[in-house]
Amino acid sequence: MAEPSSSFKPVKPKLKPKPRTPKQTPESKYWSSFKTHQIPNLISSVTSINFSPTTPHPFAATYSTSLTLFSPQTLSPSSTISSFSDVVSSASFRCDGLLIAASDLSGLIKVFDVKTRTPLRKLRSHTRPVRFVKYPVHDKLHLVSGGDDALVKYWDVATETPILELQGHKDYVRSGDFSPVSHELCVTGSYDHTVKLWDVRVADSKSVMEVNHGKPVEDVIFLPSGGLVATAGGNTVKIWDLIGGGRMVFSMESHTKTVTSICVGRAGKVSGEEGRENRVLSVGLDGYMKVFDYGRMKITHSMRFPAPLMSIGFSPDCGMRVIGSSNGVLYVGKKKTKEENVESGVRSFWSLGQEERRVMRPSYFRYFQRGQGEKPKEGDYVVMRPKKLKLAEHDKLLKKFRHKEALVSVLDGKNPENVVAVMEELVARRKLFKCVENLNNEELGLLLMFLHKYTTVPRYSSLLMGLTKKVLEMRIEDIRGSEALKDQIRNLKRSVEEEIRIQHSLQEIQGIISPLLRIAGRR
Amino acid sequence: MKTGGKSYVSSPPAFSNDGKRLLVCTGNTVSIFSTSTGLQIASLEGHTAPVTSVIVVPASSPASKILCYCWTASLDGSIRHWDFSVPDLMKKVDIKMPIFSMTPKPEFVAVSSVGKFIGIRNKRKLHIWMVPEKDSGRSVSKKIALHHTKNLTVLAFHPSKRIVAAGDVTGRILVWRGFGYQTFSVSDELVSGRLVDKEEERPGVRGNDDADSCSTWHWHSAEVNVLFFSSDGAYLYSGGKEGVLVVWQLDTGKKKFLPRIGSPLLYYTDSPDPTLSSISCADNQIHILKMPSMEILKSISGIKLPHSLPGIYEGLYSGFAFDYSSGLVALCTENYGIQFYSLFNDRGIYEVQVCERNHQPADEITVVVTFVALSQDGSMMSTVEAKLPEEGIGGLVCLKFWALGSENKKFSLSTVIYEPHRDAGISAVAFHPTRNVAVSSSYGGDFKLWVCNDEIQEKGLMLQNSGWACLAVGAYKKKPMTAAAFSCDGSVLAVAAETVITLWDPNKNVLVAVIGETLTPIVTLSFAGNSEYLVSVSRGSKPQLSIWSMSKLSLSWSYKLHIEAVACAVNLSSFAVLALLPESSICMESEPSFQGRDGIILVFNAMDPVPVSTWSVKKAKGGGVAFLQGYTSSLKQNNSDGNAQQELLVYINSDREYILFDPYGNEANELGMSQQDGLVEFEETEKFGYASIYGELPKLNLTRNQTSLVPSVPSERPWESIFSGSSHNLPPLTKLCSAFLESLMEKRTAVVE
Repeated sequence: MAEPSSSFKPVKPKLKPKPRTPKQTPESKYWSSFKTHQIPNLISSVTSINFSPTTPHPFAATYSTSLTLFSPQTLSPSSTISSFSDVVSSASFRCDGLLIAASDLSGLIKVFDVKTRTPLRKLRSHTRPVRFVKYPVHDKLHLVSGGDDALVKYWDVATETPILELQGHKDYVRSGDFSPVSHELCVTGSYDHTVKLWDVRVADSKSVMEVNHGKPVEDVIFLPSGGLVATAGGNTVKIWDLIGGGRMVFSMESHTKTVTSICVGRAGKVSGEEGRENRVLSVGLDGYMKVFDYGRMKITHSMRFPAPLMSIGFSPDCGMRVIGSSNGVLYVGKKKTKEENVESGVRSFWSLGQEERRVMRPSYFRYFQRGQGEKPKEGDYVVMRPKKLKLAEHDKLLKKFRHKEALVSVLDGKNPENVVAVMEELVARRKLFKCVENLNNEELGLLLMFLHKYTTVPRYSSLLMGLTKKVLEMRIEDIRGSEALKDQIRNLKRSVEEEIRIQHSLQEIQGIISPLLRIAGRR
Repeated sequence: MKTGGKSYVSSPPAFSNDGKRLLVCTGNTVSIFSTSTGLQIASLEGHTAPVTSVIVVPASSPASKILCYCWTASLDGSIRHWDFSVPDLMKKVDIKMPIFSMTPKPEFVAVSSVGKFIGIRNKRKLHIWMVPEKDSGRSVSKKIALHHTKNLTVLAFHPSKRIVAAGDVTGRILVWRGFGYQTFSVSDELVSGRLVDKEEERPGVRGNDDADSCSTWHWHSAEVNVLFFSSDGAYLYSGGKEGVLVVWQLDTGKKKFLPRIGSPLLYYTDSPDPTLSSISCADNQIHILKMPSMEILKSISGIKLPHSLPGIYEGLYSGFAFDYSSGLVALCTENYGIQFYSLFNDRGIYEVQVCERNHQPADEITVVVTFVALSQDGSMMSTVEAKLPEEGIGGLVCLKFWALGSENKKFSLSTVIYEPHRDAGISAVAFHPTRNVAVSSSYGGDFKLWVCNDEIQEKGLMLQNSGWACLAVGAYKKKPMTAAAFSCDGSVLAVAAETVITLWDPNKNVLVAVIGETLTPIVTLSFAGNSEYLVSVSRGSKPQLSIWSMSKLSLSWSYKLHIEAVACAVNLSSFAVLALLPESSICMESEPSFQGRDGIILVFNAMDPVPVSTWSVKKAKGGGVAFLQGYTSSLKQNNSDGNAQQELLVYINSDREYILFDPYGNEANELGMSQQDGLVEFEETEKFGYASIYGELPKLNLTRNQTSLVPSVPSERPWESIFSGSSHNLPPLTKLCSAFLESLMEKRTAVVE
């Protein structure tokens, strides 16, 4: 048996057309949930971004002749190292986050203490600009670097001497990465289109494996499994299977210009580390950041920035994504952190000290509130409080049949959909014109302002155009009497004229296109 | 044969003494509902005309509460005494006059519960008599009158005190306290003593009215229909057109509300159980209330009654759709919903709210659900609602598609399309018989094909995204498209462009052929089963029923008939039409049994212009017919047949009363069984004189029908009908005379037997 609908139904705005394919997949929702901040005014192009592997994961950005460390909480520069003689090309944190290595175009590699900014070691051996420097994942003693002299060098940092000189590339070496599973394997990419895998244990300094990307390689990274490598060159990003003998798994060609930098990002629910999946994030000169799901071989998200992008970094705790542009702007995407989590962690730490809670006494205010926040136990029968229907102000007024007040209150609310919905409801109650008649000058101004803004919006125009006409007819005397209202009318007139102009030009375009379409249809 | 769809609110219901049962007058029977479940448990059958009142014999002692005796009165002029626990007829009193009401709760007579006063309302006056006590020798009862300036509609007496309340047409409630102390008092001295000081302090009392005071409460905006004192006399209940039950605290005038009942209130019934009462609403629903909290415990909902529609939608309104396989009818309701009513079980299944809006019964109608269509398998529904503009702005037509849920078997909204044909109204929606395709035709000169895309997307969890989207648009010479239909196999789409019929290939959206034309615009198109014939109906000044042959692309045959509804059998080539009789032929009829019969149902075979069988019906204007798949569990006889293709014809009249029967008449026993039901419109399902009006019915057909129908109808009186109809339409007298004499002779033999 049907229950009578005894609850009040609030007015609802019309539904918007849903796109055929849902615009927001859960994944793209995740990626767009990073709140973008801008850090402008770095002097020139941001050449590299590197995150510290230790919490709270500060990150280093290199640009011009300096290297700046940013704190992840405030996004302000915490310290800047500018003792470089040339443009800094790359920086890499050591696995404990205490040291950072940076290379510059003069061919020098410096290792700094992160805290004190003092240069500890200077590694000088490259004769040409160094393009990348990289610490292995678990090794604190060695470094790998490569540069325009087409050499890849494996350094012993303490003694400032290159242990190995890996020869084989025939052009500038642009990038390299250590394997996440072994500190003896590294991969480098060069402008000679090749990507070479090196084993530092092999004495004859020949590459273990070589794949051809087909374009000058800009960036190369290991994917977290250690078996796959992603390379960027030209406008393609390619995934290679190293275990399978250097077979290409997939080629992603979705950028329109050169891909400059790639990194590994992780997507998924914030809670539950296991729910996260790895993605390849790539940025290019076309200003796009693309998220590539190499498990499903699909682009899952794409985002546009207003400048060519040079470098990208993703924090190990998935809380931040930093993109550097060629005009010296850092676009920092920051995920909202759960403040409560941090706080509760702190509290639990403190509560370890006091084993017993204080006994409640009626002298505390909390005594009277005790037990209210109690959670129901497994077998408890929960008596639910009946859910209260929350009504908007205009709904409350409509419920009381105070139509004019409802219209005014919704006009105050600045939500055009709701205004139109209330107007439609008033039409259905045959009360709209009575309301318009009863508006005082101030409220009429409000209505005119709304009409000025939204009469020409196609979604609302069918109702609002007629209403505008009626309002002007009905309230012409009041409008004449008030300067403020006359101003509103002038604005309204302007927007109507603008709309008419647009319509005219659209008609012209239609006139041009329709014969073409007809001809095309005949064939 | 099965009837149903009776009004539950034709007269006030009555509670049994234990408050567990509710007796409701439903047509010729009294249905007994359980108040705890809201379901029907029994019915009292026996009256041959609508039952007008039912009274339960009150229990004198707590022990007798289990006794279940009641009296019923009917228009057939009898009063019957029943034991409704069994249910069993105990006594029958024949009055031989239609009884319209029976105390103590008649339409406008009110009796105070202590039995001392009787009151009636007469325009702006209230007349109250005191009932003379039995032992007093007075023969003339005294009378007082209380005056008011507006017409009074309802009155109620206080259960213990001398208080009378009355409601008027403007929504005011007047409460007179201490009425009749002067006139009805025992000792005359006391009256004269009080008379003097009464002149000054009688607030609100008009003229010389005999009352201490009169207070006026005004909350209702329209006429007060329901007025009732609570059993302890502390509260006064009132209700009216707004569909709000108001509780007035009698001493203070403070009020409480039960809002949004959704329909004008008609009656309020108290039960012996003080926590239980019921209100009857105009939308054929009875709500059982838990009393002090005014909480609706259960609703007994009958079939929704048709509602009036504003001018422009009057003609095109069909108001209901039939589900062929499950025997449901979907009806548009006044509160912007669709009610699904089971024709086989005669009860409401559920309601779907089409438009999320608060319904104010008293307001002008501005939002209407104008059209409902169901797909042939009943899994898809489409509704059209229209918002009427205020002074030319704010109008909106909205097409909605609904999908049947797999587990709860209820329709849920799938797609909303605002202004599907710009601002033009929709004339018809039809579903493709096999695919998820629908067509909507509009007066704006185009039709659109809609397709449902069920795409299942894998996004972590499988979320289903289905929706209807426009597939194709078609138009023919910018003419208004007035009707649309798919052929049985779905290969042809017929769309009526006013007077011509355009045939389209729905797969390619290509115009195949144009056939026509008729004299007035076509309003209904339908393919006759799986045959090659198309049935079109046009109304207006020159109504026409036309059958078009698809193979010849030409008119096959046609009649000049005003057709109200068409139904096509699904698998056979036969179809049924509901035709309105011309005015002239109705006036000619003087026989009481044919009075009010304004329509006939004709079943045709598409190949043959001669009707296979005919029935005459009442209240055909606004009615409908449909073929339904036979539902074997409701009709026991069909079980033995094993014939799955059994089709039943359903006729629903303008009051939404319906009858289900077998149109081919090959089961005489079934028709015979239905006789004891004593149907209102169908007490004589006889061959009506179609031939006598139109002169087209050949003899052969006539005899065939008679053989099937005569044994079931012993009370047939064909001689009464044979001369009805306008004289110029009658066949020659020589033909009629022999038939007339023959029928008389038949009658005589029947009497002899």
